[in-house]
Amino acid sequence: MKKFLNRPEDFVDEMLEGIYRAHPQVTKTADDLRCYVTAHPRPGKVGIVTGGGSGHLPLFLGYVGENMLDGAAVGGVFQSPSSDQILEVTKYVEQGAGVLYIYGNYTGDIMNFDMAGELAEMEDIAVRTVIGNDDVASSIVGEEHKRRGVAGIFFLYKAAGAAAAQMMPLDEVARIAEKARANTRTMGVALSPCIVPEVGKPGFEIGADEMEIGMGIHGEPGISRSKLAPADAVVDQMLDRIFAEESFGAGDAVAVLVNGLGATPLEELYILFRRVSQRFEEAGAAVRNVWLGEFATSMEMAGASISVLRLDAELEPLIAASADTPFFKHVAR
Amino acid sequence: MSLHDLRPLFERLARAFEEKRDELIALDGKVGDSDLGITMAKGFAAARDAVSALGAASPAAQAKHAGAAIAKAAPSTMGTLMGTGFLRGSKAIETAESVGTAELAAFFAAFRDGIAQRGRAKLGDKTVLDVLDPIAAALEAEAARGTAPEPALAHAVEAARDGLEKTRDLVAQHGKAAAFQEKSRGLPDAGGTAALILAEAFHAAFAEAG
Repeated sequence: MKKFLNRPEDFVDEMLEGIYRAHPQVTKTADDLRCYVTAHPRPGKVGIVTGGGSGHLPLFLGYVGENMLDGAAVGGVFQSPSSDQILEVTKYVEQGAGVLYIYGNYTGDIMNFDMAGELAEMEDIAVRTVIGNDDVASSIVGEEHKRRGVAGIFFLYKAAGAAAAQMMPLDEVARIAEKARANTRTMGVALSPCIVPEVGKPGFEIGADEMEIGMGIHGEPGISRSKLAPADAVVDQMLDRIFAEESFGAGDAVAVLVNGLGATPLEELYILFRRVSQRFEEAGAAVRNVWLGEFATSMEMAGASISVLRLDAELEPLIAASADTPFFKHVAR
Repeated sequence: MSLHDLRPLFERLARAFEEKRDELIALDGKVGDSDLGITMAKGFAAARDAVSALGAASPAAQAKHAGAAIAKAAPSTMGTLMGTGFLRGSKAIETAESVGTAELAAFFAAFRDGIAQRGRAKLGDKTVLDVLDPIAAALEAEAARGTAPEPALAHAVEAARDGLEKTRDLVAQHGKAAAFQEKSRGLPDAGGTAALILAEAFHAAFAEAG
């Protein structure tokens, strides 16, 4: 293992200390480093809370900021935060309009967010939940509820965050998050594994000349392991999966996110996007918004994911709206 | 007889989980991360303190505050599940002024169902459910027969012991123990052991009340 660490067990807390020192627009609440919140909550606005395991920056906490989220409960590497941490974040971001939970579809996170929601309701805070499950590879059509949440959750944050910033009520913000969820699909491909600091070695191997299509962001098994193909063929394999579920043609508009998993250079992401763009062009669909870079990583894993959000008249301006967080800045054109 | 005030029950639970702390740590350590004994002792101590701070209140309010206190003080899977059990159980006895056999049956059925839902486990997965289910079933049968709370809980404790014994033959499907799969065979489930301790403490509290 070759990582910049002091002690492996301090990995998460020292990362957080660095973030708080770098970015005064965020702070901790309940005297707990792992209860991460905006320093400037807006009275009367729906609070949006996310959370999940560490090891995925900028996911999850990176989207706390203006026009996006209000708080994030931070777990250990690949571990859920506790229900109490989620509750503390919930209490802080409650500004009289209720709180929306948006997080990924993982058993531990569901249990703790549900528990926190139940405890928050006892304190008269209205809570709604939308669970991201965009990873097409992780379950078949008809069993979408079993799909994991991966990089596409960014679109849920973006749409719901912009809706909340327009002071929409809780049920409306939740409806928009749900609409973004239902229209977001992601496929990933991994080229090399990641190393959990406290474990010190990879939990699995991917051969030097291999790729694994559909691998999860914690190294969950994908749908096929094969020889690494040329970039265009890799994109085709991934998009074919998405297009098999959702057809795009003339008059359709999408937002696309090409996400690096941690060790893949931006150059390669653009090579992937080149083919993504060609495919939508061939289909006659318009790519209205494009983001490339690291949005949901798996530490030093090499690989990428492609997320597609189908836009409509309601989602499009929300996705295009400005946002400003320590890890994500977007200026509306 | 039925109980109006659950404070003695929560005293009893806190003491029981403190006494069994090391036993649970040792059991959990064989297939998990040994934190079960610690989190249960912490959780039920917090429940006792929360219920005591609440003063006179309905059984449902006492169970609800206990559940919230456990969830907060014991941020582990079993702490969250136990907390959920008390919260859901409290809802099932919302209007009851005292707890008799019928209320115990309703409480433990909701306790079991809440944990099954939140933990997404099913019977036979070698979890706390494999002991909670016989407890709830025994109480339901005794409530139907009109048995008094103390003998009904005595039967529930017997059912819990049988249920726990049967978990020895099961293979863990959830949590850290799942990683040990076959190694878990032969051992009683640690969460199930906590459920037996729970039933025993309920029985002792009602026995003491006469």
